[in-house]
Amino acid sequence: MINFTINNQPVTAVKGETILQAARKAGFYIPTMCYLEKTMPCASCRLCVVETNVTDGFILSCQTPPTQGLAVTIDSDRLQTERTNIMRMYDVNHPLECGVCDKSGACDLQNKTLEFHIDAQHFTAKEQPRKIEHWGLINYDPSLCILCEKCVHVCNEIIGDDAITLQFGGYKSAVIPKNSEKLDCTFCGECIAVCPVGALVSSDFQYSANSWELSPVPATCAHCSAGCSLTYEVKHTSIATGSEERIYRVTNNFEYATLCGAGRFGFDYDIQASKDEAAFNKAVSALGNAKAIRFSSLITNEEALILQRLKETLGLKLFNEEARAYQSFMRAYGSISGKGAFGGTLDAISQSDAIIVLGGRITTDNPVVRYAMTTAARHNGAKVIYMHPIEDALLQNVVTQFVKYEAGSEEGVMAMLAKTLLADADIGDEFRAFFDGLDEGYLCAESNAGDEEFVRIEKSLRRAKRKTLVIGSDVLNHGRAENIARLAALIETYTDFSLVVVPQTANTIGVSLVCDLDRDENTAGVVGYNAEGEFVIGSFGNYDLAVPALNSQEGTFVSINHQVLPINVAIGFEGYCLNDIANALGLRRVNTVDYTALLPKEKGFNATPFDQLENFYGSLGEDNRGYMLENSEVEVNGTLETIETLPEFNGTVIYRCNPVNQFNAYTGRTAQLERDPALRGSAQFAAAARISDGDQVEIESNGTVHVRTFILDGELKGTIALSPTYDTEFGAMGENYRFEKIKIMRVGS
Amino acid sequence: MSKVYFSTWRGEQINNIGKPEEEWEVSAYNLPADYNEHAHSKAFIGWDGVALFNPDVDVVRLATEYAAQYQVYSEACGRCAPGRWGGRILYDLLDKIARGEGAVSDMEHLKEVSKTMQETSKCEIGKTVPTPLLDLMHHFEAEFMACIETQKPSKHYHMEDTNYIAKITAPCMDACPAHVDIPAYIEGVRDLRFDDSLMATRQTMPLAHTCGRVCPHPCETECRRTNLDEPISIMELKRLGADYETDHGFGFFHPYEQKASIGKKVAVIGSGPAGLTGAYYLALDGIDVDVYEELPVLGGEVAVGVPEYRMPIDRYNQDIEAVRDLGVKFITNTRVNADMMRQFESDYDAVLIATGTRISKKVYCDNERPEIEGYWGAIDMLDQVNLFVKYGIGEDTDLTGKTVVCVGGGFTSMDVVRCSIRANAKKVVMLYRRDEKTIIKNTTYEEYHEAVEEGVEFIFHSAAARMNDENDVLKSLLVDRFELVPDPNGGRPNLEKIEGASFELECDYLIPAVSQSADLKLIPEEWEIERTSWATIKTNGKDYMTSRKGVFAAGDCEYGPMTIVNAVGQAKRAASVISRYVVNGEITLLDDEIMEDHLRKLKVYDKKEKVTGWLPGLPREHSDVLTADERKYNNKEVKYGFTQSQAIAEAERCMRCYYIAMVAH
Repeated sequence: MINFTINNQPVTAVKGETILQAARKAGFYIPTMCYLEKTMPCASCRLCVVETNVTDGFILSCQTPPTQGLAVTIDSDRLQTERTNIMRMYDVNHPLECGVCDKSGACDLQNKTLEFHIDAQHFTAKEQPRKIEHWGLINYDPSLCILCEKCVHVCNEIIGDDAITLQFGGYKSAVIPKNSEKLDCTFCGECIAVCPVGALVSSDFQYSANSWELSPVPATCAHCSAGCSLTYEVKHTSIATGSEERIYRVTNNFEYATLCGAGRFGFDYDIQASKDEAAFNKAVSALGNAKAIRFSSLITNEEALILQRLKETLGLKLFNEEARAYQSFMRAYGSISGKGAFGGTLDAISQSDAIIVLGGRITTDNPVVRYAMTTAARHNGAKVIYMHPIEDALLQNVVTQFVKYEAGSEEGVMAMLAKTLLADADIGDEFRAFFDGLDEGYLCAESNAGDEEFVRIEKSLRRAKRKTLVIGSDVLNHGRAENIARLAALIETYTDFSLVVVPQTANTIGVSLVCDLDRDENTAGVVGYNAEGEFVIGSFGNYDLAVPALNSQEGTFVSINHQVLPINVAIGFEGYCLNDIANALGLRRVNTVDYTALLPKEKGFNATPFDQLENFYGSLGEDNRGYMLENSEVEVNGTLETIETLPEFNGTVIYRCNPVNQFNAYTGRTAQLERDPALRGSAQFAAAARISDGDQVEIESNGTVHVRTFILDGELKGTIALSPTYDTEFGAMGENYRFEKIKIMRVGS
Repeated sequence: MSKVYFSTWRGEQINNIGKPEEEWEVSAYNLPADYNEHAHSKAFIGWDGVALFNPDVDVVRLATEYAAQYQVYSEACGRCAPGRWGGRILYDLLDKIARGEGAVSDMEHLKEVSKTMQETSKCEIGKTVPTPLLDLMHHFEAEFMACIETQKPSKHYHMEDTNYIAKITAPCMDACPAHVDIPAYIEGVRDLRFDDSLMATRQTMPLAHTCGRVCPHPCETECRRTNLDEPISIMELKRLGADYETDHGFGFFHPYEQKASIGKKVAVIGSGPAGLTGAYYLALDGIDVDVYEELPVLGGEVAVGVPEYRMPIDRYNQDIEAVRDLGVKFITNTRVNADMMRQFESDYDAVLIATGTRISKKVYCDNERPEIEGYWGAIDMLDQVNLFVKYGIGEDTDLTGKTVVCVGGGFTSMDVVRCSIRANAKKVVMLYRRDEKTIIKNTTYEEYHEAVEEGVEFIFHSAAARMNDENDVLKSLLVDRFELVPDPNGGRPNLEKIEGASFELECDYLIPAVSQSADLKLIPEEWEIERTSWATIKTNGKDYMTSRKGVFAAGDCEYGPMTIVNAVGQAKRAASVISRYVVNGEITLLDDEIMEDHLRKLKVYDKKEKVTGWLPGLPREHSDVLTADERKYNNKEVKYGFTQSQAIAEAERCMRCYYIAMVAH
């Protein structure tokens, strides 16, 4: 702890904290234009200069840690004079187009210009011609750019795209795409978010509205399990009608949180319906007569609880194989760890100095896990070991060791990994005997993950102090998922690794906690809720009765942080919802969110009513969103089963995996997100399947046949092709193991 | 000492205006009064003042041009608001005055902007560019005011009679023999842009892994942060970029795109640091390079001299692969002789000799006969150790039960004694003529203390006087002791032998590691290539061409046994000269290189300067080291290198002391 003073007031800082951070914590204001809490200081604006008792001249508070006993002055006349001059320079030749600038009203330059009372151009410099760049979803106007470098920092340090850079050129400096002519990135749009002026803007939003006309609706993103905070910004579309509203854009608290492109640009998936009484009555009778409800995890906890109550009231079965697989995985996990929920979080990942990821295409499955990994790699120099049958080019600047294993061999790989990580752990005789008895030669040979890889892993981890194991969704639907879960639990219990499991869908965890699920026996009499059925109720797919999409609903999700997070209505919905049907079938709640307080306490929910859930970050980044689930204790009675013969996946194999920014049927129907429906494979895959780039191919899997275009992808290697699912009828990743042997046939080109 | 007309350099106030030339007061500094053999300088202007060498300088134009350079040399700037806009405003206002359109208020604005830049800029360029401009405006106010009052251009404004040559430097860059852009690679670490960091290093230094580990870092001695607290740990920060490239399996981040082949060929003799560096920059310039190496392995002394525990071979090989990546051909197991050299002259467009110094010099004691068993040259000893440890070639070195005495005091002798410990010797003794302080100065503090921790016994003020053998087998040494006797005339104290203090030291090996000399048998005698007085190849130390046209030499075979970074610096320069020579047959230096040499003579670092704008007292980071027990009997790398948080904290201490210097001639 370092004790020092600011303006004669005592202040403390912890090691690693800067003067600026300590000042902000203590409630002092030091102006900045380029500072971003989540990245390294850009140190470009120089407004945060301060004076001290031991230095001649100003020092920069954003990158200087205080020393013991230092006396800092943050607001002398001298400082004010120089800061004012800096603001005068910022205003030199900044175009006076605030009237049409997207940023006007929420612009740091505007705010600071007013704050420093700059009402005239004091200095001049020669104007220079500048060209506006159009980079797809993003436009860049260099004449508005103040070169604070926030966008460059965030793209490299948090996102990992490292797609933009500064072209140094004094007065001519500009932000340019790095290593390419056009911007080539995952279009997360975080650069737009952090831009303090109107230089980087959404091309869709540009010139469509002023910030003060938009109504903010704080909510939670529904596209993946990360549970990111976002704000829908809504406005009526016409003065004439007045009533119709649409979402104009999504913004986020970029200072402390990060959003991917799907969250930012994939917001317009709401549907409209009127109260169709005939369809409603059909739905009520279909449900009343149904044997089972099949549903997707793309629903709120409250909807899940309604379904659970319907099950209890009507004696229905509940089918959701994806959530059921997660349930049994976590049950097996608990049988070793004694806990209901895994211990890791996104923060734990970003603070790690060693990360092992096994069994998931993490960059597209859950971009925020990727961002946490990027943060750890850049800021902590984390060793990142990525274990998967398919290498991921997006992770190259994060991953320090890629371990390729054969599809299907996860149980063997996990056993070898656990043996490596538990080598020095006191795990008791029974478990030790299990590992001693492993046929390593067989496991390494059949999985193709050589023993030298595990030696290297051990070496990489030697100096690591904060470690995280991330298990992806491949494993959840693996035939040996439970044994894998027990191995993961052993690692978490007996080493300093924390564990994060990444399920497929936004609310898989919530559903798994709320619903008592049955094995899907494909019986007759199934009503689908956002899923296949004889009668379908939903907001996507070919539904028979429309219900509101997740941006038209109130309710909650459970994120992979085990945080209960509220969603809100951005766009009103005039039709019926599940609660209406439930009420018609005998349940009695006025609103869906009346169920929020009833969510099961034994699973860690805490009975807070919906209207009392907060949804914001504090000024120092405190996460005041919803609440954290209580982790429950469960009985420890698990043992490890012998590793089964590793399955072989020969022939033509596809991996179900969505392209960047695509997750489900919602993202698949938004206006801005790119829709790539192609099957993507390497040259090796193409040769084996006897197809070539651009061919129309017929894919036969699980007895169904669909046709896709094949695209030869130079970034892919190996014999497995990537097959999207977001554009299938219900957009779901499916309930089976993600790798699949298929028959493929060229049907045209 | 330079003859000047006017100078404010480093605070001196020399004003010979109006005085007859023979009465001119001279400057105390080595200012570049002569730009090169063809041109006298008219003025020198830089971060610490301005010097005029003749009365006819248009000071208003000079000020304008200096401000313009700030715009031109913007790879180092454009990174902060005051610098970016301030620099432009300075230029625009000065040019306005110089072309005869200025107003009195412009002078005030210039001063105001200057002050904000000096107080708040990110790097020293922004802080120091106004310094000489304010000097000129102060001392030559009349000339500025004349332009304003008459609304006429300055006297040379429309004449193109003067060349303005500018150069970016920094104290550390100037001190580094390879002139590595140190602030840029540290900035890359601070900004977590490790690829940029490595590319900055590779501008002038291809061996980033190597010089991130085993460089004696002369830059740190001239680090400006020393004036505030402690120097930046410059050397180790180089590893971040190199590790990033290697750990993530990227290809190689070359500093700029390799030029297409220009159809010229160069032979490089020797694959040590100089040979690799020469090959690297020649290849980047589109020249086909063949590197000849007599050993079965690449890398020269860093491979077979520097031990594994200091420089892991897998990392050095990464540096070598970066060179190979550019298409350089390596021909190993090939000792080049005079006949081949004669052939090379016709087969290649130029030859670069980089054969190092691989003959261990004698210690000059009585009975020093190479045939005595137990007399073992340091180079041979380290060859044997390293070839086995790193490549599994030859036999393992086992000194179990043996006593080893090394005579030396430099890096090579440290390698000898520490390798002997690792080879399980019973006792290892280092004889050194001078004292502990000097051995630390000649090597590093860490190197010496690590050797002591590992159990090496140092006997200072001592020298081997005689080898005692039985039937040509070494049995013991007679060791003389010395003391420092002050020079009665006030000169350096002299080492004098203490009579009667000599003693006998039983030992099995005497390893001379006093110095090495160059083996130049490969040079055809009839070429009559000039040698230096210490029997290395002679060049002018600027273009590195030998007395024979088209034959160049760099590294230890030119300079004598010196550091890796010195070899790199020389070879980089040689490659630059060769790349032009093979095209036009002329030996030329770039303006940048001429300025580099001028600045080194002037010396950029000023240890008396008072540093402002930075908080003192932030301690230098030290990376963890294996304990003596963990490292003594194996070849594990002794230094872990920085953790990321250490590296970032260290990088944040860097003050970005870039400066712009400009000569008008």
